[in-house]
Amino acid sequence: MATVANYANIFVRYDLIGSGAAKGAKVSSKDSAMQKVLQCVLEGDSDNIVDAVNEALATKDPMTVINEGLIKGMNEVSRLWDEGEYYLPQAIVASDAMLKGLDICEKKLGKALEKKGTVITHTAEGDIHDLGQKIVNALLRANGYNVIDLGKDVPVDEVVAAVKEHKPVMVTGTALMTTTMTAFERISKRLVKDNFQVPFVCGGGAVSLEYVTGYDLGVFGKDASEAPGMASDAVNGLNWTQLREKWNS
Amino acid sequence: MPKYDKMAYASADEMIFGSAKNPVKYGRDFTVGGGYVYPELVPHPRPGTESTKKTLVKEYEKMVTDVLDRCVGIGIPGIQIELEHVYQMTKNPEWGGEIAAATKHLQEDYFRKYGLKSAIRATIADYRKPDEEDIRNSVALENQLKTFETSAAGGADNLSIESVGGKEISDYTIVRQDIRGTLFGIGVLGSLDMEFMWKKIVEIADKYGATPGGDTNCAQANVAMFMAGGYQDRSVPHTFAALTRAIAAARSLVAYEQGAKGPSKDCGYEDVIIKSITGNPISMEGKTCACAHSDLLGNLVGACCDLWSNEAVEYHDMFGGTTVAVFAEILGYDVALMNTAIELGKAKDLQQMMVQSDKYRDTHGFILCPENAYEIGKAIVANNTSYYARARAAAIKAGELMLADSKLQISAFEKESLESAMRTLESLPDKEEDFISECADIYKKLIPGFTLANYGL
Repeated sequence: MATVANYANIFVRYDLIGSGAAKGAKVSSKDSAMQKVLQCVLEGDSDNIVDAVNEALATKDPMTVINEGLIKGMNEVSRLWDEGEYYLPQAIVASDAMLKGLDICEKKLGKALEKKGTVITHTAEGDIHDLGQKIVNALLRANGYNVIDLGKDVPVDEVVAAVKEHKPVMVTGTALMTTTMTAFERISKRLVKDNFQVPFVCGGGAVSLEYVTGYDLGVFGKDASEAPGMASDAVNGLNWTQLREKWNS
Repeated sequence: MPKYDKMAYASADEMIFGSAKNPVKYGRDFTVGGGYVYPELVPHPRPGTESTKKTLVKEYEKMVTDVLDRCVGIGIPGIQIELEHVYQMTKNPEWGGEIAAATKHLQEDYFRKYGLKSAIRATIADYRKPDEEDIRNSVALENQLKTFETSAAGGADNLSIESVGGKEISDYTIVRQDIRGTLFGIGVLGSLDMEFMWKKIVEIADKYGATPGGDTNCAQANVAMFMAGGYQDRSVPHTFAALTRAIAAARSLVAYEQGAKGPSKDCGYEDVIIKSITGNPISMEGKTCACAHSDLLGNLVGACCDLWSNEAVEYHDMFGGTTVAVFAEILGYDVALMNTAIELGKAKDLQQMMVQSDKYRDTHGFILCPENAYEIGKAIVANNTSYYARARAAAIKAGELMLADSKLQISAFEKESLESAMRTLESLPDKEEDFISECADIYKKLIPGFTLANYGL
């Protein structure tokens, strides 16, 4: 069998350029119990987060554990992901662990933390491919948003009714197929007709910027990781045209 | 239960594009795996045309006509057209049947006028929801089975599907880099669902004289591969996606154990492993499917193909004609090159060029080059005591191959991901019942709606 002596003119492994040993997390706590909480979030360790949080709660109030352990850890995970040291799975399992820890703290507090805002998510009518939506849900929840998950194959009427009921800061739509994404435009028309001006972030599979920016309210979501940033902008008062200008130009 | 216990080929070296141990003949003088490669063109309708049956049938008639015109325009000897159902074609069984009939009518016309060989694959949309309904007794299943019937009655020669059993688990586990759950979702639940589905599909195919084609793990292994993406993506480790592909091979094999004959579905990248075991013809897609998605094995994946596909291209105008005509031409020239190599006795040389182009470009191409695919196939047939055992063995073999070849460069993060998955795979129970019990306990708590009853357990 012939072998190639030099692949350099066949392909270049750009993924290996600059890839070295991981630098790891930069955050830590001098308090050993809090350090365990941080560590569980950074490692996405849902098995041990309950014990770690309970141990921290023995000497700290819940808000301290939330701010100095759970949120600090999650912010560091976001940094590591942004800088390419973590992949999506590390962010997702960290989010799982953080939310599990948050649940314990909220029980101790006796109330749920105030959410930054409500976002309604759904996957288009006729489409069962909801993995992108699930990732969006996880990232939004980890960033402090109340997510109303309508699920997959959601009829247009149901999305419109949910917007009217919950008055979210943002709605998202996911679709894999071009022949199911057409539901987005129908949702947009119905919402506009009823004077709802909520940003409607659509993405997934074959959904394109050209299509989404072709109807009112539409903001193209290129990647699930953009969802928390878009939700933050919506909470801060950017309307759908401003969101489109910022994220789609 | 698994049936295959030996390889169809004595060695990987025997495997070549255009030839399969068990060629399939159907359609209009169309033989797949009988010595030459044919293109398989997959047209996709424009958004909006799915709104009524009339507009969708018309859209397909236009697309198919453009494809057939281009074939006779540049001398392509034969072509298979895949009707990969959009949701509306399966939800409304008569739509799928009518489009198959319209396609057949056109193909017959070109066969009569020009002798253009042709065939039709109908791929029914699997829109069952495993986490929301009884997938063995749902309206979606009923519609899907009806649509297999209307499609076969309408003239589809090959019946295929991209079944979704176990997807509720793998969707959760792939994005968490959880190899145990991925093995459970694809290797065990996916296999059990295929066993259930393919008994029914083969019955329908037999009733109408159609050929039961194949089933791709598009809903799971392709999710992992597409999320792994290119060199700069950071969604799923490429090594993890490659393990997922090996698991998928053990799963997609079930179709053939239930009576499918091939050619397999084009987006089943695992099919080269399946060809090594079954000897059935396979349809593959690579550089020619860049219209639908990117991958890192554009040439290599054609090394053993019997049909060469474009995955799906939406119908639009280009400078060189409509997209479907343009891609028919691209596919036509690709297979012309392969068939020229066959005629000149140079097929193995061309195959080597395809393989060397991509073998070390990425992990997916590495495990799917013929020699490594063959080794994974051997691991599958040597561990045929259960769906679990062979899927696990496939993943372990793929991991061992990746770790053993120093020419395959892997980043530190990717290597750690692989080694971590290998430690998990090695630590799993030996018996399938123990593994199912362990996974049931874990995932029932994590995944709302997941029920073993959907898989006959």
